[in-house]
Amino acid sequence: MSALILTSVLGVVLLYLGLSGNKSILAPTAIVGLVAAGVMSWTGWNPGLMEFPTMLKFDQMSTLFNCAMIAVTVLLFLFGIDYYRRMEENVAEHYALMVFSLTGALILTSYTNLLMLFLGIEILSIPLYILAGGKKRSYRSSEASFKYFLLGSFATAFFLMGIALIYGVTASFDLAVIGQKVQAAPNNVLFLLGAFFVSIALSFKVGAVPFHFWSPDVYEGAPTLVTAFMATVVKTAAFAGFYRFLQMTAMPPALSDTLLVITILTLFLGNVVAMRQSQFKRLMAYSSIAHTGFLLMAVLANSAMSWSTLFYYTFTYALATVGLFIVLTLAKRAANGNEAIVIFRGLFRANPWLALVTMLLLLSLAGIPLTAGFVAKYQVFMLAIGAGFIKTAVFAVFMALVGIYYYVLVIREAFTPAEETPVLVVSPINWLVVSACGVAVVAFALWPVLVG
Amino acid sequence: MVLLALLLIPFLTALALMLARPTNTARHIALGSTIASLGLVALIWWSYVPGQTWVPVKFDWAPTLGLTFSLGYDGVSLLMLLLTALVFPFIIAAGYRQNLQHPSMVNALLLFTQSFLFGVFTAQNAFLFYIFYELSLVPVFFLLLYWGGERRRAITVRFFIYTLLGGLMLLFGLAYCVTQTAPISADFAVLHALRIPADTQVWLFWALFLAFAIKLPIFPFHSWQPDTYTMAPLQGTMVLGGVMLKMGLYGVLKFVFPIVPFGVEHWRDTVIWLSIIGALYAGIIAFRQQDLKRLVAYSSLSHVGLLCAGLFAWNVYGTGGALYQSFAHAVLVVSMLYIVGALKERTGTSELGAMGGLKGKAPRLAALFFLVMINAVALPLTQSFVGEWLMFNGLWQVDGWMAFAAVATIILGAVYMLYAYQRAMLGPDRWKMEMPDAGRNDHLYLVPLIAITLVLGLYPAPILDLVNGPVQQMLSTLTALN
Repeated sequence: MSALILTSVLGVVLLYLGLSGNKSILAPTAIVGLVAAGVMSWTGWNPGLMEFPTMLKFDQMSTLFNCAMIAVTVLLFLFGIDYYRRMEENVAEHYALMVFSLTGALILTSYTNLLMLFLGIEILSIPLYILAGGKKRSYRSSEASFKYFLLGSFATAFFLMGIALIYGVTASFDLAVIGQKVQAAPNNVLFLLGAFFVSIALSFKVGAVPFHFWSPDVYEGAPTLVTAFMATVVKTAAFAGFYRFLQMTAMPPALSDTLLVITILTLFLGNVVAMRQSQFKRLMAYSSIAHTGFLLMAVLANSAMSWSTLFYYTFTYALATVGLFIVLTLAKRAANGNEAIVIFRGLFRANPWLALVTMLLLLSLAGIPLTAGFVAKYQVFMLAIGAGFIKTAVFAVFMALVGIYYYVLVIREAFTPAEETPVLVVSPINWLVVSACGVAVVAFALWPVLVG
Repeated sequence: MVLLALLLIPFLTALALMLARPTNTARHIALGSTIASLGLVALIWWSYVPGQTWVPVKFDWAPTLGLTFSLGYDGVSLLMLLLTALVFPFIIAAGYRQNLQHPSMVNALLLFTQSFLFGVFTAQNAFLFYIFYELSLVPVFFLLLYWGGERRRAITVRFFIYTLLGGLMLLFGLAYCVTQTAPISADFAVLHALRIPADTQVWLFWALFLAFAIKLPIFPFHSWQPDTYTMAPLQGTMVLGGVMLKMGLYGVLKFVFPIVPFGVEHWRDTVIWLSIIGALYAGIIAFRQQDLKRLVAYSSLSHVGLLCAGLFAWNVYGTGGALYQSFAHAVLVVSMLYIVGALKERTGTSELGAMGGLKGKAPRLAALFFLVMINAVALPLTQSFVGEWLMFNGLWQVDGWMAFAAVATIILGAVYMLYAYQRAMLGPDRWKMEMPDAGRNDHLYLVPLIAITLVLGLYPAPILDLVNGPVQQMLSTLTALN
């Protein structure tokens, strides 16, 4: 709870610090604040305790998710020191907005009331609409912002409609109360419709097919740091929220079937379209959709193990993604702003260690053993098989193979000598963050017990 | 601890090579490391008590996933360890004549592969096996990508994807089996005790077998193999053909036979016929090859088809023979490829059409080639003869026609090998220039390999004794099931 308050205050503090005109104190302040929030969140672990009478619950799941999201944001801010130094005049807003968005994310993992879910989603999203347009003079960035805003509002409308229907049936916003009422009458059509609408809105947030159309354009147009934030923290929070919601509905067959179709479509489209991408950010956007597919499988299995798998998967996916986006930024600078996959060519010659870490991160996303991505995928398969989704699991196996293909293409570029070896300037902090991501991805695979 | 040392010696040497990057001494260091491993394996062999499964290393790794880090061995593992340890010094030594760029990296990658292969052959936990199995692919990927021949970029990715397709299906099958256990465990001992319903086994068979069918490879999953073998650097081909494909055989014994016996019974004839068709088909194509290295690739494909058929004969003769032959095949592939390298070094080509009449120029090399070749065509008194005869017997017990077709592949093998020898070595001399005959190094390399072939051809008992116990035990539990 105190973590939540701290992050809200931190955002305001950052905004005021921006007025002082001293850019160099922003990131350190934000990082110190977030670390404090992380510690508070960890020590505030109190299973079963309800806050705001029955609005929020900080149990094991939300504590772990919160700490992970805060940790990832800290990594992003560390990267931001270098990233924003080169970018614009006014960066205080960027930090503040990201912290606000994180606040929304924290609510999203711990809500026990549909109103809080709504608040969480909106606090999460509204800063993002602005952040996506962070490059003010870039046409594509503005397009991304506008597109995200329009479609996001659309999703919100669906969401509110859904809550209204659920309220109409159960006369409550409280998850526990709704859960009881639903168990008494499981196949109420209006309730199903409501749950269906809410699921659509959440599918939009996690980028599931067919509600994914915004993500490639927004990922490509938004500033890289924001893209990384969206791919990691936002997705993690949205999945935590999704999982809590579906737990409450007890997954009636109609909803489960719909989600199954969404899962299969997401797996297929994300992976197959990613194969044909030549721009790295678009590739990451489709790969993010593909990973959404795998995560949806875990959600779909809806067992007691699901949340720990979700946590492990999203956290390790976030680590790999953050590292890769940093490497992209570095390579992009060496290639004069080009974002194609070919800019990775010659990376091994230019900086062997960075190339090695890039390989590890990509292998983790691909799910090759001794990286965390593998353990995550394996857990998802176990969950899906355990829940009886055998054919879906086989299909997911084939899609994972397609995934390996496009990640390996990037690895191949990194290890192919270029005609002209690019000159990469790596600041110590960036080096540290990327290395930390690479080491973490292996360490979490070697000791899966560390997380969860 | 011996097993842990076995994994760590090549791994740490490889790491050291990668970090220190010595150019001149890299090969010596790598050779020293592989010889040390060979010594260790010999020690293990010497202290081995037949019929035992020995699990000296075991600790929990990730209990929620069923993963334990347990290493051990039985007779079959020991055979595989033996062939890996035996063949690797020769693979490293072949590098002395190749002069590839960055020798420290090449040798480091080779040693990583060896370490992971030892891991595969000693893992007593299915999940651990899988981890090593996939890891062994990574160094090979870079070996092919950096030091391969023409079109290496495309072929390497195809090879990688093909193999991983199998790997992921295996992972799926494994996940399925593990979810059936309670409490969750992926130890082979637990998985082998599983009783999966017969109709589930029918489809689960392919989930488990596909990885190994691709790794071996058998028809129709072989299309990655000829290109990859031809394009790979010589040492890479030796690793792929000599050792890595044996992971396929080993995997079948560890995963497929004990876990899905009904599935095997259901698909056995199909697999045997596919294997034999593949063996015949590869033999016919090998006959038409102009490139010696490609011919070796197809001949390996043909031999492996027969191996797989023998394995699935599912009796002491067939399965034991296949295991015995896998040892012979490893020695054969390495020596055959060394000859290819030696010829290429002298003539600058591996095109058979361009060679011819080399016997006059290099009589000793021709003699060595001949001695290697008689093993390839499975002449009596050679190791291959023992293996192929056993497999032939095993297949005969299953079905006469299968045995007949198997014999046909052996005849085909003799035809294309002799024809290749004739085109390369005999006939009018086409070479105006002088060329060196086989020197001291070539003899040092090939004579031990040929000696192994002949000695084990005359006295196969040491290897057969290793294999017989585990195979008989496995077969008796299977017959008890049916």
